[in-house]
Amino acid sequence: MNSFLRLLYRDLKASLWSTKSMLVVQLLTPLFYIFVAGFAYGSIIGKMPGTNISYVLYLAPGIVVMQIMFAASMAGAMLWIDKRLAMFAQIVVGPFSRWQYILSKLVSIMLQGMLNALLVFLIASPVLVGLHISLEGLLYIGSSLALGSLFFGSLTLAISVFIKSNEAFNAILNVLFTPLMFLSSVFYSLQGAPIAIQLVALANPLTYAADMLRAGLLQIYAPHLSVEIIILAAESIMAFAIATFAFKRVKP
Amino acid sequence: MPIRREAKSLDYSIETSDLTMKYDKVVAVNKASFKVIKGEVFGFLGPNGAGKTTLIKILTTLLQPSSGSARVLGYDLASEGSKIRPRIGVVQQELSYEHALSVEANLDLYGFLWNMSKAERRKRTELLLEKFGLRDVRKTAPPELSMGQRRRLQVAREFMHDSELMFLDEPTTGLDPQARRVTLNYIREKAKDGVTVFFTTHIMEEAEYVCDRIAIIDHGKIMALDTIDNIKHRFGGVSVIQLRFSEYNDDLHSNLQNIPGVQKIVRPTHENEPLKILVENANTSLPQIIEVSALHGARITELRLEEPSLDDVFIQMVNSKGEKKHE
Repeated sequence: MNSFLRLLYRDLKASLWSTKSMLVVQLLTPLFYIFVAGFAYGSIIGKMPGTNISYVLYLAPGIVVMQIMFAASMAGAMLWIDKRLAMFAQIVVGPFSRWQYILSKLVSIMLQGMLNALLVFLIASPVLVGLHISLEGLLYIGSSLALGSLFFGSLTLAISVFIKSNEAFNAILNVLFTPLMFLSSVFYSLQGAPIAIQLVALANPLTYAADMLRAGLLQIYAPHLSVEIIILAAESIMAFAIATFAFKRVKP
Repeated sequence: MPIRREAKSLDYSIETSDLTMKYDKVVAVNKASFKVIKGEVFGFLGPNGAGKTTLIKILTTLLQPSSGSARVLGYDLASEGSKIRPRIGVVQQELSYEHALSVEANLDLYGFLWNMSKAERRKRTELLLEKFGLRDVRKTAPPELSMGQRRRLQVAREFMHDSELMFLDEPTTGLDPQARRVTLNYIREKAKDGVTVFFTTHIMEEAEYVCDRIAIIDHGKIMALDTIDNIKHRFGGVSVIQLRFSEYNDDLHSNLQNIPGVQKIVRPTHENEPLKILVENANTSLPQIIEVSALHGARITELRLEEPSLDDVFIQMVNSKGEKKHE
């Protein structure tokens, strides 16, 4: 079997399995947002302006994308665990390259994110009436989840290389993720939002991923969706390149 | 212990030339040049912080040296790391394991990473669980194991896959004497199968037990490199020959003193004490002592030889702080 696939299997079996309590949290959190926040705000907002879509239906794709961002932080956490238990050095003195090591981390969190998204939609399906998925829609969905995982996974891996302690790593992610979460189209439509927020949100990769997922699930197309896809793809590749470059600094 | 065979240039598993590693102003490894013969157990001895682990990290491609060059299994360390790594095994000094998996699953997953078939993994896992005394804890995860058991798991894991060259960085740290002996015996067994072993330790009796040749390193510099016997003879100072004679007189005393290599003769101060002859090399002096005694008609009734221990040599060498260099 290919070296990369063997590493991927290890990540899925050893690293992610070891954080299974975290995986449960990552499943419960989006469900909480959808069922509680979705219905609470939905009772006030009603239908989204200019559409026939309920707020809970609008919110669900945004929450799933947000969860992809949080799940991606696992990539950085997995590197921390491997470094702490000297498994990183053990792997890279074996028949593997550092490039394969980093890619296996990203693909494993991508697969986990996709499985997580699927479970969220399955569990929330009774309240998500109105979802319609076409073949074209699947492409948007797949691209959104894959590029979102790649971007945020690479970002957290790069951060984990430069940060010296686990506590600092978690603190930085909290500081970074909170504005990313609220200054995006995750919770609300940007049309009608203050200009300043619109400008910031339009530079936020989370907005692009949320817009792509809504296009796939709800056929709501943001005004410049094709541009957003190109930008997110470019940002993801750049983030991966930065993470790979930063990774060379990791001292075993 | 003698070297197994004369080495030709292709018979080296490791060849280094002026390998140097500097961290800011600290020189961790200082122009290390040595060769490790294929199939031998090569011990790298030194006190804590001497540069042993840094050297292993360089030779296993984890660190790039500041200068110098090396070939490992015939491949250039700087440009052919990807050809070296699949052929070596490494037991790091730090404990390492998959903390969420059982002992058995740790071994199996490691075998999987090394692309072993399921049948091979199962067979090797059972063998190693037995060899390293881990059968009773096979279903236990490492955080619940003792330090010694974790170390045994780590060492056993590296023997899951076959390798041509094994780097073992203080592999017996934390092991009880019995487990230590089992580990050292297994290392010798693998060496007999043709695996070259590069072994670091600061426990001299381990080196004496398992190594064909040793290098002593201190402050990043190799102070001596040879077989243990030769190092003892070269750096260990004198050997002490203890003797009792049927009769001993001044004539015999002065003739013994004239034997080349005899440094000093200490007469017994009371009846129960033996005569002590301090010699540079017991192997050459002892036959002459026996011959001279026979010529004087003095029968040797008791003979004991005290060799300097490797501990003595090591402490003497390390204390000299770089005054001696290997030839």
